[in-house]
Amino acid sequence: MGSNMGSAIGAIMSNVSSIFSGQVIYQAKQAWQSLKGHPGFIASVLTTMGLTVGALLCILTLAYVLLVKPLPYPDQNSLYVVEHQLINKDNKVDGGAFTYPNLMYLYNNQQVFEQAALMHLDADVLLSLPANPMLPISFVTPEWFSLLGPKMALGRTFEQTEAVNTYNPVAVITYQTWQHDFAGKVNILDEKLNFSDVSYRIVGVLAESFSEPQLHGIGYNSSVILPWDYNTVSERDRKTWGNDDGGLIYLAKLSTKQANKTINVVQAGHALTSLVNDNWQEKISSQDFFKGWGINLQVKTLKSVLLSGSDSTVYLLLAGVLGLVMIACANIANLFISRTAEQQRSLAIKAAVGASKKQLFISIFSETSILMGLSTVIALFVASGGFLVMQLYLNEYLPRIDELSINVFTLSCAVTIAILLALFFAKLSANMINYHALNSTLQSSGKGAGIQVSAKIRNILITSQVAIVTALVFINITLFKDAINTLNQPTGYESNNRYFFVMSLPSSNEDNKDELLANIHLMREKLLALPQVEMISQSRPPSAFGTYAVTTAKTNERYSAKGKDIDHQYFDLINQEFLQGDNFSAQDIKNDHRVTIVNEVFAKQLAPDGNVLGLTLNGSKIIGVVNSIQIPNSKTIDARFYYPASPIRNMVLVKVKQGQKLDRETVVSLLKEVSSQIKLFSFASLNERSKSRLYTQYVTVFTSGVLALITLFLSSVGLYGILSYSTQMRRFELGTRMAIGAKGKDLIRLIIKDNLLAIMLGIALSMIMLLIITIGFNEQITNYLTLELLPLLFITLSAIALISFIACYFPLRQLINRPAIHSLKGCE
Amino acid sequence: MTTINNEKSSKLKIQMKGISKVFETEELETHALKNIDLSINEGDYVSISGPSGCGKSTLLSLLGLLDMPSSGQYFIEGQDVSDLSLDEAAEVRNKKIGFVFQSFNLIDELSVFDNVALPLRYDVERPTIETITKRVNECLELVSMSHRKSHKPNQLSGGQQQRIAIARALVANPAILLVDEPTGNLDSKSGDQVMDVLAELNKNGTTICMVTHDPRYADMASIQLKLLDGMILTTPVAQLAV
Repeated sequence: MGSNMGSAIGAIMSNVSSIFSGQVIYQAKQAWQSLKGHPGFIASVLTTMGLTVGALLCILTLAYVLLVKPLPYPDQNSLYVVEHQLINKDNKVDGGAFTYPNLMYLYNNQQVFEQAALMHLDADVLLSLPANPMLPISFVTPEWFSLLGPKMALGRTFEQTEAVNTYNPVAVITYQTWQHDFAGKVNILDEKLNFSDVSYRIVGVLAESFSEPQLHGIGYNSSVILPWDYNTVSERDRKTWGNDDGGLIYLAKLSTKQANKTINVVQAGHALTSLVNDNWQEKISSQDFFKGWGINLQVKTLKSVLLSGSDSTVYLLLAGVLGLVMIACANIANLFISRTAEQQRSLAIKAAVGASKKQLFISIFSETSILMGLSTVIALFVASGGFLVMQLYLNEYLPRIDELSINVFTLSCAVTIAILLALFFAKLSANMINYHALNSTLQSSGKGAGIQVSAKIRNILITSQVAIVTALVFINITLFKDAINTLNQPTGYESNNRYFFVMSLPSSNEDNKDELLANIHLMREKLLALPQVEMISQSRPPSAFGTYAVTTAKTNERYSAKGKDIDHQYFDLINQEFLQGDNFSAQDIKNDHRVTIVNEVFAKQLAPDGNVLGLTLNGSKIIGVVNSIQIPNSKTIDARFYYPASPIRNMVLVKVKQGQKLDRETVVSLLKEVSSQIKLFSFASLNERSKSRLYTQYVTVFTSGVLALITLFLSSVGLYGILSYSTQMRRFELGTRMAIGAKGKDLIRLIIKDNLLAIMLGIALSMIMLLIITIGFNEQITNYLTLELLPLLFITLSAIALISFIACYFPLRQLINRPAIHSLKGCE
Repeated sequence: MTTINNEKSSKLKIQMKGISKVFETEELETHALKNIDLSINEGDYVSISGPSGCGKSTLLSLLGLLDMPSSGQYFIEGQDVSDLSLDEAAEVRNKKIGFVFQSFNLIDELSVFDNVALPLRYDVERPTIETITKRVNECLELVSMSHRKSHKPNQLSGGQQQRIAIARALVANPAILLVDEPTGNLDSKSGDQVMDVLAELNKNGTTICMVTHDPRYADMASIQLKLLDGMILTTPVAQLAV
């Protein structure tokens, strides 16, 4: 009996499933047959949805990787970075980096963390390889490995044998260095690396899968890991309590027990602050300059530090792409609506032979499913293309970009989006069908009983399009303009035909000083002898300054100012204007005279009348005042001073003759001729340097410009579609109006008037959206809120008005430019 | 009802001389109308009938300046309208021609009053609201539809809608009423009522030219033209009188 029941149920189930699967195949076939005849429709849907959903998947995956995905380290939730701030007497943050002694004090004395690691990033020329490559190096304590838990391809990590003050010269290299610089040599663990005359034995190779937390800046990956003891902070700076160094990083882990109890980060910060600050106050008590200053330590999650403000970029991108998707959806909705209107006869026949409402829905849903399924496949290709492009161009701009790929998250999003869109479009189309009126469609000639898009839906489509496009275009134009403004900011110095390079010199001591000086002198001579070279200067590049504590002798007033060392040719070479006094002389440089030059901003701070010649700063006499230059991509102009550079300064600026070029190879071979000890560390033109500083602006100009154009284009197409459909629907009415005497301009006025409300409503909605954004993100966008926005708003509204007008006029043109009879024909 | 108003025939409203209409496609030239001569005097009631495809509708659209002839000359109240721009034609239609269509062609969104007032709104002379109100009320009176002023067309029967359409055709005091199968979409009772309204209007002086394939209604006109293959078979009485 029981088995009979069982087999009966089995039979029913298999029947049902075969009917069901047969039904699905039948519906899919029918849908495909019906779509096949409309290649234009298919192409419009697939390209629009494929591209926009592709962009959406791309940005959603980015958002997932940056905001949600766990970091690829064990106990990643318990990892923290401690940030060190120097607070000046005005209670303002003066420096955001560790001073070396404070870092070591914290490392040796803290009780808050279970484990802590120190890191310092620098770069050096690898002397042991014939190519002398420049490699970025991380100097770390052994805990770095236990906190990040990297897998090793070969050998071991650092252990107690490499703890602080062991001075054990060993090295771990990355997988990429092993493959790239050592061609994957099998016995790599027998090799040694020679940096600055220290020979490090390679003890391990990191696994290929390991990705280092880019704590030194997005896009900075080290090639070699060396023990902390060998870091390049000078002996002097290791003991200076007041000089901060941005290369110093403190990474730590709270025990999981602590993390669970959430000894919150603020408390941890307070505990560490008092530990470090108390000690610091004691150490600097003799220095007048730091009177009233303090130290503040902040504990931040590793994740938030790595994200470093990129979340707002992600949200912005997400908002932009969602806007695009909505415009695309409105456009495609319009296409589906028109298609349903077109299909009224075949739907009526189906209804006449007994199709239920639900069955009609299923047949429409089959079509939308096929289209959305195909669009999603295209979208996945678009998204993987997008990942490649982002990895190529945004690697230095957004963190964790190398983790982007089509993953489970992307695929589930893709499937969900496809199903939702298919349902949405099917529901929208099905809602247009007045099932009871379908039968009369067959009986009458079609007039009056047919499917028409209701004026309400048309108006909703118009309003939503206008609202989204106005808001998006306005935001994009604002970003575009702001980035252009920054790009076009006059710098106050000349960067064309100027190059900059850094040499790697052997460390100077009493024994080799004369030899080094002679070599540098020879390098200068050879460089000037090059036919293309007009002028050189041993100075830091225009955009690079350090932060210094400065005191004036007269008032004993303390300042924190930006400073750098230059030679007497610097201002001439970059054409920076002199306002008062004299430049350094060759003697000042040669004999290291105690003289200084300040910029106008600093001069005004020092003396309101700007008359600062003769004042002394830290014992150096001010002999000149120069114009304040604008460093690319910096919003403010700082107080700056310049002091004489040492004759063995390793940085060189070169001015070449008009239309001439200097290349890296020339400099490399020139240095080789001078001495085997001098290597080229880096080389770039000043224009390349400012370009890389302005990378964000270039990316912004490009993305916001493209996004604005795509948005305008999509919405033009969409508005044209809706209005052209509605004009088509009203053809007969418009023909009647023409018959009783309406002229072309009367009809244009009529169509504009009829759509004006929907358009104005859209604009009003967009204003509300913008207002909400302004209120909600006031802090982030306060820089953008200026009167300059008004003309931009005007331009945006004009563009929308123009597009709306064109969308009203063009469909009408074919009616009003022909005799009225054409509009009346075929409607009877 | 069908008496010929010879006393009124003194004033020439419509005159066509040698009008032809050729429709050209890539392969084919169709001569829809061939060398039509036609005159209609003030107060005439002209019917044009013929089998389908004979050119009735084409002739009516040329008469109504909805389309332009391929050749020939056309005068309305002495004004040469053979070669007008689209906007000039619209202006002449507005002032001198009243259309009554088979399917009424009322605008659903507008009230009866606004439908009737529509031609006056397109008048270049921009009549005042008072003038418009007065004139619309007069015309609604003429078709006995004053009590339905604020209704929407779809709240009315077919016959009532056609009467509204006639009121709209009259509102600008046109030179001629062009009527296209006015009873085609109506039952016979409503059709008769509409024809009565037309007859009454003609009796009071309105010039009417009507296209119909219904011989019963064609007989109600004082002048009956028969069209076959784009040519007029019957010599209109009115033309002889000139």
